[in-house]
Amino acid sequence: MPRAPFPELSSSVRLKYVKLGYQYLVNNFVAFLLIPVMIAVSLVLVRRGPDEIMALWHSLQLDLTQVLFSVFLFVFVAAVYFVSRPRPVYLVDYACFKPPTTCRVPFATFMEHAWLINWDEKSVQFQTRILERSGLGEETCLPPANHYIPPIPTMEASRAEAQLVIFSAIDDLLKKTGLRPKNIDILVVNCSLFSPTPSLSAMIINKYELRSNIRSFNLSGMGCSAGLISIDLARDLLQVHPSSNALVISTEIITPNLYTGNQRSMLLPNCLFRMGAAAILLSNRRRDARRAKYRLLHLVRTHKGADDRAYRCVYQEEDAEGHTGISLSKDLMVIAGKALKSNITTIGPLVLPMSEQLLFFLTLVGRKLINHKWKPYIPDFKMAFEHFCIHAGGRAVIDELQNNLQLTAEHVEASRMTLHRFGNTSSSSLWYELSYIESKGRMRRGHRVWQIGFGSGFKCNSAVWKCLRTVETLVDGPWTDCINRYPVDIPDVVKL
Amino acid sequence: MGVEQEKTVIYDHRISTVVPATVTGNAVLHELTNMDLIMKLHYLRAVYYFNQSEITDGVTIADLKNPMFLWLNICYPMAGRIRRAESGRPLIKCNDCGLRIIEARCRRTLGEWLDVESSSSRWRLLVPDKVLGPDLQFSPMVYMQFTRFKCGGMAIGYSWAHVLGDPMSATNCINLWGELFSGNPPPKTLQLNNHQKKAENAATHVKVSPKPIPVKQVELIGDGWLAPNTRKMATNSFRITETKLKKIQPEQLKQVPTFVIISALIWKCLAKIRKSGECKMATICGYLTLPKCSKILNNTLKTSIVRLDSSAANFGLLELATLICKQEAEASKSVEELADIENGKSDFVLYGANLTFVDMEGINLYGLELKGQKPVQVDYSIDGVGDEGAVLVLQGPQRTNETSSNQERIVMVILPEDEIRQLCELLTSEFGIAQDLKINHKNSVTNM
Repeated sequence: MPRAPFPELSSSVRLKYVKLGYQYLVNNFVAFLLIPVMIAVSLVLVRRGPDEIMALWHSLQLDLTQVLFSVFLFVFVAAVYFVSRPRPVYLVDYACFKPPTTCRVPFATFMEHAWLINWDEKSVQFQTRILERSGLGEETCLPPANHYIPPIPTMEASRAEAQLVIFSAIDDLLKKTGLRPKNIDILVVNCSLFSPTPSLSAMIINKYELRSNIRSFNLSGMGCSAGLISIDLARDLLQVHPSSNALVISTEIITPNLYTGNQRSMLLPNCLFRMGAAAILLSNRRRDARRAKYRLLHLVRTHKGADDRAYRCVYQEEDAEGHTGISLSKDLMVIAGKALKSNITTIGPLVLPMSEQLLFFLTLVGRKLINHKWKPYIPDFKMAFEHFCIHAGGRAVIDELQNNLQLTAEHVEASRMTLHRFGNTSSSSLWYELSYIESKGRMRRGHRVWQIGFGSGFKCNSAVWKCLRTVETLVDGPWTDCINRYPVDIPDVVKL
Repeated sequence: MGVEQEKTVIYDHRISTVVPATVTGNAVLHELTNMDLIMKLHYLRAVYYFNQSEITDGVTIADLKNPMFLWLNICYPMAGRIRRAESGRPLIKCNDCGLRIIEARCRRTLGEWLDVESSSSRWRLLVPDKVLGPDLQFSPMVYMQFTRFKCGGMAIGYSWAHVLGDPMSATNCINLWGELFSGNPPPKTLQLNNHQKKAENAATHVKVSPKPIPVKQVELIGDGWLAPNTRKMATNSFRITETKLKKIQPEQLKQVPTFVIISALIWKCLAKIRKSGECKMATICGYLTLPKCSKILNNTLKTSIVRLDSSAANFGLLELATLICKQEAEASKSVEELADIENGKSDFVLYGANLTFVDMEGINLYGLELKGQKPVQVDYSIDGVGDEGAVLVLQGPQRTNETSSNQERIVMVILPEDEIRQLCELLTSEFGIAQDLKINHKNSVTNM
C-alpha cells in the first residue's frame, strides 16, 4: 500500500523531464540542426588548410564587376529588408488616474443609495448578492454626481468627471516623461459611453494647447476593449509618420450611465463599473528606445460581431419603463470563451514557442483525422509570457480565463487586485494591472506581458509588450499608498 | 404667511452622502450603553446661521464636504448604521455608510429670515426632521443641511440622533468639523468612548425604588424610533438679556445659577397655565463637561428630579429656586441604574416625561467657526420630547465687548402648542422678558 504513491511521483517527475527535454529540442531545433553542420564545415576547412582555400577562391575567377554587383545586390536586399520592417513602437511611460478619497463608495452606501433611489426590495437584494460576490473592495470610487440621491447626470457633471480623470492622468504623465504638450503629434482618445461635442480629444487639445496640426482621433462606443483598439490605431499611425509620438487616453465616464431601473440584466454594470483613466505615451523615435519601458510586439484584434448572439450579448437599450441601461446576456461567459479561443488561435503562432505549437498542431491533426475524442491541447501560455493582464471585467471573467489558460493564482493576481481596489474601470483596467505588477517589483527587463481586453461587439483584443528596462519598485502611481496592503485575500462571499 | 408658502421658500434640495476617507474595517461595532438606549427616541436639531462674508461667498459645497471625510475617519461611528445583535439589543455597525448632506437655497435674505417671529418654527425648514427607522439599516444618524440665502449668508442645519451622544458630544463633533474646515489639524488626543461591556445587563434587577425616575416607558407605533405625542408640540425661543435677569433676581439669589432662576421662573408660569395641578414634578437635566480633547461620543447626562408638595405656582421664586438647587445637589443618581433596559427592547422618553429643564449653558454652540467666522445665531431644539414639554437654556450669541459671565441666554421652549402663547403672554406681562427673538443683524455684523 505505501508503495502506490511512489510510482505516481516518479512517473510524474519522469514526465516532467520528458516534457522539458522535448521543449528544449523543439524550441532550439534550428540550433541543433546548425551545430553539426557548422562543426562539419569547420572540420573540412581545417583539414583542407588555408592554401587550398585560397586556391579554391582564385579558381572562381571573379572579376570586379561581378563582385561589385553581388555586393550591391546584397546591400539592396538588406536595405529593402530594413525599410520594409515595421517601425518599432515604444511605450515610453504611462500614468493612471488615482481617484480621490472624496469619491469613495463603500458597499453600505451603495446599497443604501440603491434602496433610496428605487424602492424595490428585490432589485436591492439582487444587487446586494452581486456586490457580495463581486470581488470589489470598499475603496472603489464613483464620480461626485453619482453620490447624489437621485444621481445628477447632467452634461456638465459628465464633462467635469472627464476633465477630472483625464487631466489628472495627463498631468501625471507629463511630469513623469518630461513631455511638452506642443510635442505631441498624435492624440487618440477612447471613451465608450460619453461622446460630447466638441469631443474629448478637442477638450484635451484645448486644455493643453496642443499644436494645430495634431492628428487627433476620438473613438466612442467601442466598449471595454477600446483601449487596445486605440493602441492599435496609434501604432498604425506611427508606421506612417516617422519620428513621432502618440498620446493615447483610455477612460470610461460613469456619470451619465448609472442605471435607475429594476431590470436585473442591467443592474450588473452599476455594481461593477467605477471611475478610472489611463494616459499612455507611445513613440517610434529611436532616441526614445533608451528610456522607454516597453516595446509593442504584437497586437491582435478579434471581432465576433458577425454572430448575432455575440453582437447582442452586451447591449445598451431602454428597459420596459424607459430607463437606459446596458444589458448583459446570460451567455456572456460562453461568448467570451469563444472570442478568446479565436484570439488565441491568431496570437498563438506569433508568441508560442515551437514546442507548444507543434504539440497543438499534432493534437489538432490527430483530433481531426485519427480520433476526435482526444482532448484538445491547450498551449501553455505561461511559457510565452511572464505576466498577464486580464481585463478586470468581473470576477467571473477572471475565473474563466484563469481556467481556460490554466494560469496560477499569481498570474491573475494583478487582475484580481485591480478589481478589488479600483473596480471595473473598463478600458483603463489593463493599465492599472500593469502598474500593480510594476509596483510589486516583478517587472524585469526582457519580461513579456500579455494584455487581454474584452468588450461589447463582442471583441477580444490582445497586446503583447516586452519590457525594455527593469522598473524600480518606487513607482509613482495609483498603487503607491496601498501596495503594501496587497495582495489581499478576497473571500468568495463578503457578508454585508 | 401660510405653511405652503413657507415650504416653497426653501427650494432646490439636493441630497448626497459623505463617507469616511478610509475603510474603517470589517465588522467594527460600536456598542451602545444603557444610557444611549434610553435616549434613543430623542433627536437634536440645531441651526447655525452665518452672515454673508468673504468666507461664505467663496465657499463651495465641495469645500464644505472635503473636511468631512477626515472628520468621519475620526468619528467613524457617526457614519455607521443601527443594527440589532442576536439578543435584539441595538448597536452601531461601523460600516462607513456615511452621513446625509442636503443642499438647499432660500428665497429670502438672512436678515429677512431672522426678522420673522420665532414662534413660526421656521428653523424646521433648515434642518432635516428625519428619525431613525422604519428601515434602521438605511437610516443615517446624522444629517447636515447647507442652505444658501439670497444675500449669500448660510445656514448649517445639524440633525443628530441622541442615541449616538449627548448635545455636548454633538457640539464637540461639529466644532471639530469647523476646525478641520478652517484648515487646523485634528487634535491628537481625541479618542472615542470605550464602552464597558454591557455584561451588567444580565445582572440588572429591577430596583424597586421609592424615588420617582425621570424617564417614562413608551410604546412605539410602527418601526420608527419616535415616541407618539398625544398633544401637538411646538417650539418658541426668546432671549433673556442679563439686565432683564437682574431685574427679576432679588438680592438673595445672587449665588443661584442663572439656569436655576430661569427654570424656576418658567416653572411658575407653566404651573399657572396648567391649572390641573399636575405641575409638581420636574426633571433637571445637565451634561458633564468633559475636557475638549477627550472621549467624544457618549451620553453622560446627570438628571435629578424636583418634587413639590403642591403646584409650583404656590411657591415664591426664591423658594422654588432654592428647592431646585437643593435637589440637584442631593440626587444625581445615574438614570441607567433606575431603569430596567431588558436588552434594549424597552423604549423610554427622558425629555418631556416630566417637565424637563435642560441646562445647556456649558455647550459651546458658538464654537463652530468657519475660518474664524462665528455663527450670528444658533437655534437649538430637541425632537421626540414627551407631552410634559422641555425648556432648554442655551448660550446666547457672544458679544465681543462683554465677558462671558455677562452673556445673555436664549431659552427654547418645546411645549404643547396652546401653552406657548399663554406662556409668552404671562412672561411678558409679569416679568417683561419674553420678547420674540428678533435678531438685530446690524449689530451682529459689527461684532463679527
